[in-house]
Amino acid sequence: MKIKDYIVKGLIALAAAGIAALMLLMALHILTESFPAFAQEGLDMFRTDTQWRPVSDKPQFGLLPAMAGTLYISFAAVLLALLLGVGCAFFLNFYVPDKLAKILLAFIDLVAGIPSVIFGFIGLTVLVKWLAVHMHMAAGQCVLAACIVLGIMLLPFVVSTCCESIQNAREHYELAGYALGFSKEMLIVKVIFPAIRPGIVAAAMMAFGRGLGETMAVMMVVGNSPIYPAMMGRGQTIAALTALEMGSIEYGSTHLSVLYAANAVLLVILVLVMICGRILRRMEKDE
Amino acid sequence: MSRRIRDLAVRLLCLLIGIASIGAALFLFVFVFWKGRDVMSLSFLLEKPSGMPIGTDGGIFPALMGSVYLGGLSALIGGVIGIGGAAYLTFYSGGKGIAAVVDKAVTGLSGIPSILFGLVGYTLLIYHFGIPRSLLCAGVTVAAMIIPFVAIRAKKIFSEKGLEYMYNSQSLGLSKEYALRRLIFPACMTELFGTAALGMAYGMGAVAPILYTGAVMQAEVPKKLTDPFMSLPYHLYMLVNNGFSLEYAYGTAFVLMVFLLCIQLLCKFISYFREGAQWTFKR
Repeated sequence: MKIKDYIVKGLIALAAAGIAALMLLMALHILTESFPAFAQEGLDMFRTDTQWRPVSDKPQFGLLPAMAGTLYISFAAVLLALLLGVGCAFFLNFYVPDKLAKILLAFIDLVAGIPSVIFGFIGLTVLVKWLAVHMHMAAGQCVLAACIVLGIMLLPFVVSTCCESIQNAREHYELAGYALGFSKEMLIVKVIFPAIRPGIVAAAMMAFGRGLGETMAVMMVVGNSPIYPAMMGRGQTIAALTALEMGSIEYGSTHLSVLYAANAVLLVILVLVMICGRILRRMEKDE
Repeated sequence: MSRRIRDLAVRLLCLLIGIASIGAALFLFVFVFWKGRDVMSLSFLLEKPSGMPIGTDGGIFPALMGSVYLGGLSALIGGVIGIGGAAYLTFYSGGKGIAAVVDKAVTGLSGIPSILFGLVGYTLLIYHFGIPRSLLCAGVTVAAMIIPFVAIRAKKIFSEKGLEYMYNSQSLGLSKEYALRRLIFPACMTELFGTAALGMAYGMGAVAPILYTGAVMQAEVPKKLTDPFMSLPYHLYMLVNNGFSLEYAYGTAFVLMVFLLCIQLLCKFISYFREGAQWTFKR
């Protein structure tokens, strides 16, 4: 009897220690691997006049274009996801019968389970093709395509968070609003929307964090040129850069270390975004 | 009057955006199913890839099995550690000291992009530890990725269904471990399995962590842990990226999507039917 108890306790303690150790290992490994890059290249990686030329005779490791691309694409994608997601959440909450809304919400949730490589694939065969034909672009791969694909990927997340916030707000204000003679639309615009604004911002932060790290879908449609992003031009993100180049680099080279450094920077941005999101979420709950 | 127009505009906007979003979601599924149905046949599912370049003929059987093996292995490792960690956080911690560290670790891991797991797995496992590109290597990498996924959901399950059992058992003088073994784990078993299965689906769909840790373009169904393997999403990526065969890419995407959808729908159904159902335990 006692022995079984000890085994259970031991396994649980082991699992918990394993999780903490894994996080520590990841953090330490990223730090130690990126250290040579910071020591050798230092701030050169973040100067505007260095480019990304890792394999030329005088290698340059300018990370700013990829960083700008990452932030730009995530930001635009979150805007798109918010526009669609918030509207969709209102639509589901106010204009669709409850039962149907539940089914539709579950259906949208299923989209979150589609692997990112399929998003990239559909983006490539539909969106990129369409852009190439109708926008007279050479290949069609561009930042815009990445933003749209990523925006749709983030959509289910925004919809489900917003639906939660809207339901909370409805419980508080709906009856009072109707009792004052508000129309449904007025209730949406004047009462519910302001009430869920902190929730929307928090959802945006979380979605932004997810978008920053998205690899496959973005990589397949963005064109992967290490230049500063423009809507109709090609671009590059840190995650895509890592996925593209890590396999062909010699271990221990500066190139690999710079990739680690880029990801370390990405992580710092992610942590900041996550902390902001958490603080906003807490603020919303306190209200 | 102007108010009525504004109301109408708001209603129209919501309607349009709602229909557009749901339409976009619907399109994703319909498109893949419509395009993929032509390639679908028993031989596509059961044969090895062939043709030149590879993947333009034959089937995807090794990729299908490779994905299942990878999913199973990583769900096993990630599920056990994730659920154990969640049990620790729910039942053993006071939220301070070590528990806070574990809690932060779960949150931190959940925010790490999948490609970073791939990168660390690649340099750490393959170069530092000298493990060959293999099922084991990829399985461990993917497991690391799904640990926070499972832990966060398992913690929710435990605190919703398990805490009450724990309080009651403790007030009766039972040990925590006894309560866990005899009451809480059996009561939450279906949900925990569902969570691990969702984690499996999540891991099976990921390409970034397996890109350089074990997936290859052509391999047999793995027999040992140290064999390289084929995987559906990786196969799809290679077919598309190298422009080998769009037709077969649609077929692969079809199979991958059906497979993952089935797992997810199954989990949804289980949790739907068990919602509110009272659990009765055997002596």
